[in-house]
Amino acid sequence: MKHVLTFVCIVFSSFCLLAQDLLIEAESFDNPGGWVVDPQFVEQMGSPYLNAHGMGQPVENASTRVSFKKSGTYHVWVRTMNWVPGEWEAPGRFQLKVGQTVLDTVLGTRSGWGWQYAGQVKIGKKQALAIELQDLTGFNGRCDAIYFSTKKGAPPSSLKKLAAWRQAVTAEPNAPEEVKAYDLVVVGGGLAGCAASIAAAEQGLKVALIHDRPVLGGNASEEIRVHTEGIYGNFERILKKIDTKHYPNGSAEAKLDQQKRDNNVKSYDNIDLFLNWRAYDAVSENNSIQYVDARQTMTGERKRFIAPYFVDSTGDGWIGFWAGAEFSYGRESVDTYGEYWEEHGELWSPKEADNAVMGSSVLWGSTDTDSPQSFPEVPWALPVAKDYAEINGEWQWEFSRNDLSQIDDAEEIRDHMLRAIYGSFYNAKKDPANKNRKLEWVSYLVGKRESRRLVGDHIFTFNDAKQGRKFPDGVVMEKRAVDVHYQTVLEDEKNPDFISEALFYRAPKYYIPYRSLYSKNIRNLFMAGRNFSCSHAGLGGPRVMLTTGQMGAAVGYAASLCKKYEVMPRDIYTAYLDEYLNLIEEQKYEKIPPSKK
Amino acid sequence: MIRIALGLFFLVPLLCQAQLGPVTAFSDGAQKTSLDVRPEFFVLDWKKGTVLDIVETPMTIMVDSVGTQKINLLQNKKREPVLYSSNIVTPVCADGDCKLMHITLYWTLLGDYAGFDRSVKEPLTKHDHDEFLYADYWKLHELLQDHNSILKRRRIDELVTRPKPSEMEGVDALSGATVKEVKESVVSGALYSCYVAWHLVHGKIKEELRAYTVARQNQDMLLRMLNSANTNYQMYALENLGEEGYEAHFPRITELFRSGIPLVRSFIIKNLADAFARSPSIMQPFWEALPHIDINTRSLLLQHIDSAPDATVTAISTQLGVLTKNQLIQFLSHLEDRKSVSGEIWENLRRFAASSKEKNAYIVVQFLEDHS
Repeated sequence: MKHVLTFVCIVFSSFCLLAQDLLIEAESFDNPGGWVVDPQFVEQMGSPYLNAHGMGQPVENASTRVSFKKSGTYHVWVRTMNWVPGEWEAPGRFQLKVGQTVLDTVLGTRSGWGWQYAGQVKIGKKQALAIELQDLTGFNGRCDAIYFSTKKGAPPSSLKKLAAWRQAVTAEPNAPEEVKAYDLVVVGGGLAGCAASIAAAEQGLKVALIHDRPVLGGNASEEIRVHTEGIYGNFERILKKIDTKHYPNGSAEAKLDQQKRDNNVKSYDNIDLFLNWRAYDAVSENNSIQYVDARQTMTGERKRFIAPYFVDSTGDGWIGFWAGAEFSYGRESVDTYGEYWEEHGELWSPKEADNAVMGSSVLWGSTDTDSPQSFPEVPWALPVAKDYAEINGEWQWEFSRNDLSQIDDAEEIRDHMLRAIYGSFYNAKKDPANKNRKLEWVSYLVGKRESRRLVGDHIFTFNDAKQGRKFPDGVVMEKRAVDVHYQTVLEDEKNPDFISEALFYRAPKYYIPYRSLYSKNIRNLFMAGRNFSCSHAGLGGPRVMLTTGQMGAAVGYAASLCKKYEVMPRDIYTAYLDEYLNLIEEQKYEKIPPSKK
Repeated sequence: MIRIALGLFFLVPLLCQAQLGPVTAFSDGAQKTSLDVRPEFFVLDWKKGTVLDIVETPMTIMVDSVGTQKINLLQNKKREPVLYSSNIVTPVCADGDCKLMHITLYWTLLGDYAGFDRSVKEPLTKHDHDEFLYADYWKLHELLQDHNSILKRRRIDELVTRPKPSEMEGVDALSGATVKEVKESVVSGALYSCYVAWHLVHGKIKEELRAYTVARQNQDMLLRMLNSANTNYQMYALENLGEEGYEAHFPRITELFRSGIPLVRSFIIKNLADAFARSPSIMQPFWEALPHIDINTRSLLLQHIDSAPDATVTAISTQLGVLTKNQLIQFLSHLEDRKSVSGEIWENLRRFAASSKEKNAYIVVQFLEDHS
């Protein structure tokens, strides 16, 4: 009891100290203007942030109104980062406008995420003020939060201290107050998550689908624009509701399929769709997940989701990671699973295990216009682009390096690709043939190929594909060539480090067992998508989105049987496999309504 | 229809020729018993005065559905194998129009593309019957060097007409990129010749040649590969030398660590992982290479920082600018774990932290703050 009292006093004391302070989360601005909410790197830098993604054209001001309880002179700090520190002006510069005053300090110029002092302002009593972010460059200036304080002491920079400080300032309780209960909670609304939700909902389950973007589809969405590849397998009916046409990667045609996908998922009454919600924790007891906590990426509102079963289709395997599921990352040694392929040796499977993985892409494109188009100088981009010149990006625009984690360093990877894109386009613009060309679209989202792989009862390997191995529970199938990517700079240092090459192995039709789709040690956790149970080389074939969509549908149906018999995912394989396979067979066609029989 | 008939009319005698070998005197090299000049398009080193004897092997290469050509082994005066070659005559057909392609192909001992000689009498021609210019031969040479060319995974009919999505087996890829890639990689107006040549060079024969070599492999051959400038030879030697071989040829291996491609360097360091703890002083040349090697290899090298001598750690503290953010963090973490950090290192850290030119200076600033 004494401890509790002490804690309360500390919290109370914090409030007293912070009484004349005001923290504004940038992502909660009333009007983001031309800035975009970027929640991709919350786990690494602490929060969603506003990103001035203007492709070289300063974006419209973001604005909000705030009321101060007390008048006085306030010091102002802005949490920001110069995303390319070096011997040039920071690319993402912006200024802060408070009321009618534009603070002189140019922001976005400090190295590493942290608080930059913006200056001080006088605030009148009970004055409602407009706060605006004025972008100066259009090159991805970023603002996480603005802090006003009558005391001149910057908030903490270290991530751990910052989280506690934020919680104290906002008086946020430890746990979300709202608790929602479902039959199945699906986290991640890429193809796998959508398919899982649809399959489970069709079987009558009450499903929550939590997704951190405003639109569904993940890599297939209009925000990333990779077309869906692979075959439909057993789940053509469902996957055709959410797939894409085979347009070139990066094509604006992705928007049409976006509409179809969103509408189809929303048409299920028993799918509660939580768009712009990002899960931030999952807690397990006795190797069983109890709940997943998620936060609205703009308002900061939180909810707790409880369910007997969960699907991790986050791509990065976050739910499994938080819950303590066994996982792997990187390339296994060639001897681990015997994945040797003489023709490509070390590039395919290394003698010693390492943490090299396939990289992430940022797609982009430009368009020709009727008049000359200028493009700014980008000295900060050229150390990456060097003399590479290009007017469009495709899948080969990919970045991976063994000192960078595709999860923990995703922001640096995305930023490296932005430098590659802007620098290469700048170089291309020197060619008179491109004088009328302007950037049409550059994604600011990282399209990942590989990250954590959660471990299931079966680890799918290259050999399973190579041999076309058949499993009694082979519910997912694929005939696409197994292809593993590597960075071409490994073969020649003169190559740009952001271009990859694919190594293809033409395999017979191959199958992924259901046992690769649930966790080995977290009893109620399914996984679908690139974080399914596989080796690095095993991922090479089935990592594309129709295959991952098949995985999603397969776990959706399995979850319905889990609910029916009140058993765990593993039990479906050991005790209900025939019924499961029959269910998959039966669902292939729309049922004829009784009235039409 | 008429074109097809005409095509067949020309093709049948050509196929007969291909099967039986050339009737006309071929390629300027068919009757040769030795090779004393560097092949005109060639990827390996060629020392002046080299003379290679041409000897027959039991191997043959299938040049089309019915015809085969002999594979020769080219060996030096010590009777050491150096190259494989074959004089190829094969029909190339496009839209029913068939012509013979004459070319002498060379492969390395591992079955990789090594080069080609053109026929002076029978130059390669394009679809419009124009003869290849030198630049065209050069482009063909570049194409043949690309063992992973887009031509590898496409049927010829897929390359001339845009494939339907259902026929694609691509990566995450599609036609826009594919069409562009094909256009950029082949000789304009000579897609068929390029396609045929690429598949001859990189077809099944590669594995046969490699197996033939492996069956005759000995220590001398491995050493010649180790000392070669050819990356695949280097890798093959490094894979097969064994621990004793690494010790015996350590100077060459350290040299390769500095001068080789990133893939070679990474392989070396993974193979010598134990040596960093066992013989720190011997590994000094590797630490000295740290500022000069690629980022991936440097990360692998820094995994052994705990085994590095004090002087090496001090030296790295003067080279912080070459480290990436995560490498710098790793180095600082190592300093945290050390029992003591010298004054010289602290001074180097302070100097780095104070520099306005260093993009990662802020990380050291934070480190110094935490340890002040």
